[in-house]
Amino acid sequence: MTDPILFKDIDEPGLRTLEVYRRRGGYDMVSKALAMTRDELVHDLEISGLRGRGGAGFSMGKKASFLPKTTMDKYLVCNADESEPGTFKDRELMTKLPHMLIEGIIIAAHAAGANRAFIYIRGEYQEVADILDAALVEARDAGYLDNLPLVVHRGAGAYICGEETGLLDSLEGKRGNPRLKPPFPANQGLYQGPTLINNVETLMTVPHIVRMGGESYAKIGAANSTGTKVVSVSGNVQRPGNYEIELGIASRELIYGLAGGPPEGREILFWFPGGSSSPVLTKDELDVPYDFDSMAKAGSMIGSGAIIIVDDSNSVVDVALKLASFYRHESCGKCTPCREGTNWTVKVLERIQSGLGTPMDLDIMASVQDRIIGNCLCVLGDSMAMPIGSMIEKFRPQFEEYMESRREVAA
Amino acid sequence: MPRPFHRDITFSIDGREVTAPENTILVDAAKYGDVEIPVFCYEPKLGQPVGACRMCLVEIEGIPKLQTACSTPVKDGMVVHTLTDRVKEAQNAVVEFLLINHPLDCPVCDKGGECPLQDISFGWGAGVSRFIEPKRHFEKPLSLSPLVAIDRERCILCYRCVRFSQEVAEDYQLVFEERGAHTYVSTFNGHPYVAPFSGNIIELCPVGALTSKPYRFRARPWDIEQAGSVCTLCPSQCNVSFTVRDDRVLRVLARDHKEVDDGWLCDKGRFAYQAIHADERITRPMIRDGGELREVSWDRALDEAAAALGRARGKVAAVVGGQTSNEEGHLLSHLVRDVLGSSDVESRVAGAPSAELRVALDHPDLQATVPDIEFAHAVLVIDAEPVDDMPIIDLRIRKGVRRNHVKLGVATSRPSSLDPNASAVARFAPGAGEAFLAALNAALGGGGVLSELAEAAGTTEQAVRDVAALFDATDLVILYGERLLSGPRADQTARALLNVAGKSFERGRDGAGLMEIPAGTNSRGLREVGCVSDRSPAEIAEAAAGGDLTALYLLHTDPLVDLAGEWEPALDRATTVIAHSMFLTPGIAEHATIVFPAESWAEREGTVTHPDGRLQRLRAGIGRPGDVRACWQTLAELSKRLGADISILTGSMATAQMAEHVPIYAGITHDELGGQGVRWQERDAASAYPGDVDFGPFGLEAPPVRPRPSGSELQFATFRSIWGGPEVAASPALQFLRSRPRVLLSPADAQRLELFDGLAATVAPDGREAVEATVHVRDAVPEGSAFLESDVAGVVGTAGIRKAEAAVVV
Repeated sequence: MTDPILFKDIDEPGLRTLEVYRRRGGYDMVSKALAMTRDELVHDLEISGLRGRGGAGFSMGKKASFLPKTTMDKYLVCNADESEPGTFKDRELMTKLPHMLIEGIIIAAHAAGANRAFIYIRGEYQEVADILDAALVEARDAGYLDNLPLVVHRGAGAYICGEETGLLDSLEGKRGNPRLKPPFPANQGLYQGPTLINNVETLMTVPHIVRMGGESYAKIGAANSTGTKVVSVSGNVQRPGNYEIELGIASRELIYGLAGGPPEGREILFWFPGGSSSPVLTKDELDVPYDFDSMAKAGSMIGSGAIIIVDDSNSVVDVALKLASFYRHESCGKCTPCREGTNWTVKVLERIQSGLGTPMDLDIMASVQDRIIGNCLCVLGDSMAMPIGSMIEKFRPQFEEYMESRREVAA
Repeated sequence: MPRPFHRDITFSIDGREVTAPENTILVDAAKYGDVEIPVFCYEPKLGQPVGACRMCLVEIEGIPKLQTACSTPVKDGMVVHTLTDRVKEAQNAVVEFLLINHPLDCPVCDKGGECPLQDISFGWGAGVSRFIEPKRHFEKPLSLSPLVAIDRERCILCYRCVRFSQEVAEDYQLVFEERGAHTYVSTFNGHPYVAPFSGNIIELCPVGALTSKPYRFRARPWDIEQAGSVCTLCPSQCNVSFTVRDDRVLRVLARDHKEVDDGWLCDKGRFAYQAIHADERITRPMIRDGGELREVSWDRALDEAAAALGRARGKVAAVVGGQTSNEEGHLLSHLVRDVLGSSDVESRVAGAPSAELRVALDHPDLQATVPDIEFAHAVLVIDAEPVDDMPIIDLRIRKGVRRNHVKLGVATSRPSSLDPNASAVARFAPGAGEAFLAALNAALGGGGVLSELAEAAGTTEQAVRDVAALFDATDLVILYGERLLSGPRADQTARALLNVAGKSFERGRDGAGLMEIPAGTNSRGLREVGCVSDRSPAEIAEAAAGGDLTALYLLHTDPLVDLAGEWEPALDRATTVIAHSMFLTPGIAEHATIVFPAESWAEREGTVTHPDGRLQRLRAGIGRPGDVRACWQTLAELSKRLGADISILTGSMATAQMAEHVPIYAGITHDELGGQGVRWQERDAASAYPGDVDFGPFGLEAPPVRPRPSGSELQFATFRSIWGGPEVAASPALQFLRSRPRVLLSPADAQRLELFDGLAATVAPDGREAVEATVHVRDAVPEGSAFLESDVAGVVGTAGIRKAEAAVVV
C-alpha cells in the first residue's frame, strides 16, 4: 500500500489557508507546469493513466487533448456538483484542501489551453462554497489567478446538473438538462466554446502528477487503474468515512479492514461499489479487486468511488424503492425512457409495498429496466435501471418473499 | 455565405443501397430509400435536434449502442438497420413509455385521425400496455392563450413548442416547469402565451396537447378537405392550406415553402380566416339610393357602374389596394386606361420614385431572395419593422442570425423587435431616411460630410459607422420598407439607396441584393402590371376634391382607412365612387355609390407577386358566398358593357391575358406556377426587362432640414401593426389583439409631458385631425420621437401630445 497522496497532510490544522498549504509545498507545481508546453503537460497526464474520478472513468489526459488548439475562448469547468448518493469525498477534499483544487485547476487550464475557469458546486454545499470563495480571494491576492479568471458558481439543487452537459446548461443560466452528444463539450461546451470538465478529485491529483511525473504516477495502482482513489464508505459499516486507497486492493480489505465491516452479528446483504447507480454486488463478490477493470468484469463499476454497504437488517425492496424514488425525483424529464421508466418503477414498487403486488410485477419491472438501459439521452435512467435490474436479478426470491408477506399484511 | 453543399454518398439501410446527400440527418436520408423512421421531437425547422423522445433509435453497424437517427448525419458506407429485434424492442419500449401517462382519449381529441402519436403507436408500438398504475393527472384543458388550449395530460413532452418559442420566434415565453414525470409546458411567468407567431405551436404539436380554440370540436379529419393557396393578408405571401368543411374555412395550416415562409405562419394569417365567414361581409352588389346603400341585382349594378364610368370618361381615377391580384390590377388598368381614357391607376400609397429609378431598384441583378436573408453574411433592415410589415421575414432574419451567424443591422426610427439580435442599431428621426442613407453613403466614402448628414438624420456618427461596418460583408442583403421611398423626396432617397447598394455588393451577385418590404401584399405585382400613375394618391385626392376627377374606382381599398391625404372631400365631391370590398369600412359605407362584393382570399383565383419576384398562384378553396362574383369577372364585364369586350371567361384566361400584356411575365400559366410559384427573374421572359439602366452612383442633394418640434411637440410617425386591417377587426378570435391607437413615448418625454403608461393622450399631428391614443412608455423609444399605431402607416412630421381631457387611467 502506497502512501496517501491527496490525504497526506489532511489533518494538518489550518491546511485550508494559503499559508499552511504553501508551507506544505502548495502551489510549487504551478511554475513547473506553466513552464511546460501544453503538449508536454497533456502527454504527462496521458501517460500517468489518470482516469476521471467523477464516475465515467475517462482518461483525463486524453480528454484534455481533445480540445482544439485554436485561439478562441476555451473553458475549464470543475464539476463539484457531488450529488451521487453515498459520495462525500469531494466535500472533504474541498473543505480541507481548497488550494489544492485551485492549483489543479490552474495547471489543468494550462493543459487544456483554457482561459476561463469555473467551479460548479452544488448549492447544498454552502459552507464548502464559502471556503472555496475564501481560498479564491487568497489565491487571487497572491497572484496565482492573474491569467485565469476563476468563478465559484453555486447550483440550485439538481442531481442532473452533475451530468456534464446538464451542468453546462445550468452554468449558462438555463434549465439544467443534458444535451445531445455529439457535439462533446471538448468541441462545443460552455457558451459553445471548447470546454474541459473534470471532477474535483481528478483536478486535485493533477499537481501531484506534475510533481511525480506521469511515469512514476502510473506505477501506483493497478494496470489501467493507476493511482490512488478516495473512497467514501457508508451504510452499515462500523467506521464510515473517506479512505484514500491504492486502486486494485481487494474490496474486502477496504470494507472490512478499513471501514470495519458491518455491525456485530450482521452480514452484508449486498453492496454498491461505486455509488447508488452502480449495479449491486453480493457478499460473495467481496474479493473483487477495487479497480476500474476488475469491477467492470464483475458487472459493476467504481463510479464515483462510493461504497454503500447494506446489511441483512434491511429489505432489498425497501432499498430499491428508496433508490428508484430518488432517481424519479431527479429525472429531468427530457427523454422518454428515463422520465416514464423511473416513474413506472416507483409506482410498481409502491404497489408491492402496499401489498398489491402481482406475480407479473417482477418480470415487468425487470423488462422496464432493460428498456431504459442504453436508450436514454444521458446516464441518469441507466443509473436507476442498472442497480434495480441487478437487485431483481440477484435477489428475486427475496422480492417474492417480500411481496407475499406484504400481501398477507394487506389482506 | 455559400449555401451548404453536400455531395451524394451511398449508405445501406435495411439491406438496400441508398444514395443521399452526405450529412443528411438519417431520418431524412432514410426517406431516399423509402424507409420511414418514426419521430416525435425531430423537426428540422426548429434547428438542432434534441434527441429527447428517443423514438428514432436505430442500429448502426460499428456503434454498440442504438443511435438516434434524428441526430446522426449519414456518412458514406454507413450500414443502418431499422427492422432488427433490438430496434423493434426499443421502438416498442418508447411507445409504451409514452402512452403510460397519455389519456388515450382519442375519440374526443381534435387530433384524432391526424395524430402522429396514433400513427406511430399503430405502426411501431406493441399494441398492448403492461402499465396498470394510475396515470398522471392535470387540470384540463387550460387556456394557454386566448387562441390556444393546452391539455397537459396528452402532452408527451417532445419539446417542440418550447423550442419554437425559445429558438424560432425567440419570444422566450414557453418553458418546461417542474421535472421528471411532473414536467409540464407553461409560460415563463404564468401569463397567457401571446405572441405574433404563437399559433405555430398548434401545428407543431405531435399530439392533441395544443389545440386551436377557434377550431376545437369543429371538425374531424375525415370530414375535412385541404385546399392549398396563398395568404394575401401581407407581403409575406405565405403558402397556406385551408381546412375546408361544408364550404367553410375552419382552419389555416402552413404549406411549407422553404423559399417563402419556411413553414411558419403568423397568427393573423392563421386565425383571421374567421373574417371570411363574418356576418358583416358584403355578399350582394349595392347601390346608393336616397343616401342609403341598397342591395340590387348584378345586372343593375353593372349597368349603373358602366353608365357612370362612361359618363366620366377621361375623369376617372382608380386606387388599387395591396391585396389586389395581378389579374385584377391588369384588368382595372385596361378598363381605366384603354376603355375610359384616363391615366390614373395607382397602387402605391404615397409618392414614389420615378420609373427610371424603379427600374434600377427592381432590376434582377439587384434582387435578393428570401433564402438570401438566411445565408447572407450580413442583413441590413432600413425603415421597416418586419414583424409588423412582413412578419414571416422577422423569423427568417432571426434564423439567419441564430443559426448562420448572419450579422444584422437595424436602421429605423421606431425601436425594432430585432434590436437585441442586431450587431449594429441606428435610430434616425422619423422621415429622415434620406438623410440617413446620405450619411451612410458618406460613411462608405461616397462623398458628403458624415457629421452633418448624421446630424440631419437625427442620429449619431457612431451609429452610422456601425451600420457601415456591415458593408465589409461579401454578401449583404438590404431590406428596405416601401415607406423609405415614399413621399415628395422619393427620387432623392432612391438615388441614395442605389448609391449605398452600389457600395455593398457586385451587381448580379447571387446571395446579395436589395429587397423591398412593400406596404401592400401585392405591391410589387401591381407595379409590374402597370398600376402606377404619375399622380400620387394624395394628388388624386386633391384632383377629385377640386372636381377634376368625377369618378373614383376603389379596388380592395378604403382610402379613409388605408391612405394618408385629404380623402374625405375627394370622396364627397366625386359623383361616382365604385368600390370592391369585403366589408363596409367607413369610407365605403359613407361615400361609395356602387359597391361590388369582393371575394375573400380563400375564394380568389389569380396570381400575386412576392417582393422577391416570385409569382404565386391563388386558388379558390371554397365557393363564393351569397351573390359574390369573381372580381376579374366584374372588371371584364364592365369593359364589355363599355364596348371593349376582352372575352375573358375563366380565371386562367385572365391570367393569360395579364401575362400577354406584361412582357416580363410573358407566357406564365397556372400550370407553370403550380404549388410553389416561380420567380420571374429566373424565366427566359426576364430578358424583356429594360436593359438601359442607370444604377448610379448619383450626386446627392443635401437632405431637407427636419422640422424642429417645440414645446409639447415631438417628432412623429405613424405605424401599422401586424394586427391592423379589417380582417383582424372582423375575426372574433383576434379581437384581443386588434390594433388600437397607441402612442409610444420615451420615458423622458412622458415625464416632461406629464404622461404615463395607460393614460389617454391626445395626439395632434401637424395639420391633421387629432387622435386619442393610449400612452405606452417604452425605454427604447428615442427621446424627442413619438410613434402612433394607426391603419395609415408612414405619416411623418411633428405632433403635439398632451393629456386627453377627462383622461381616464386604464
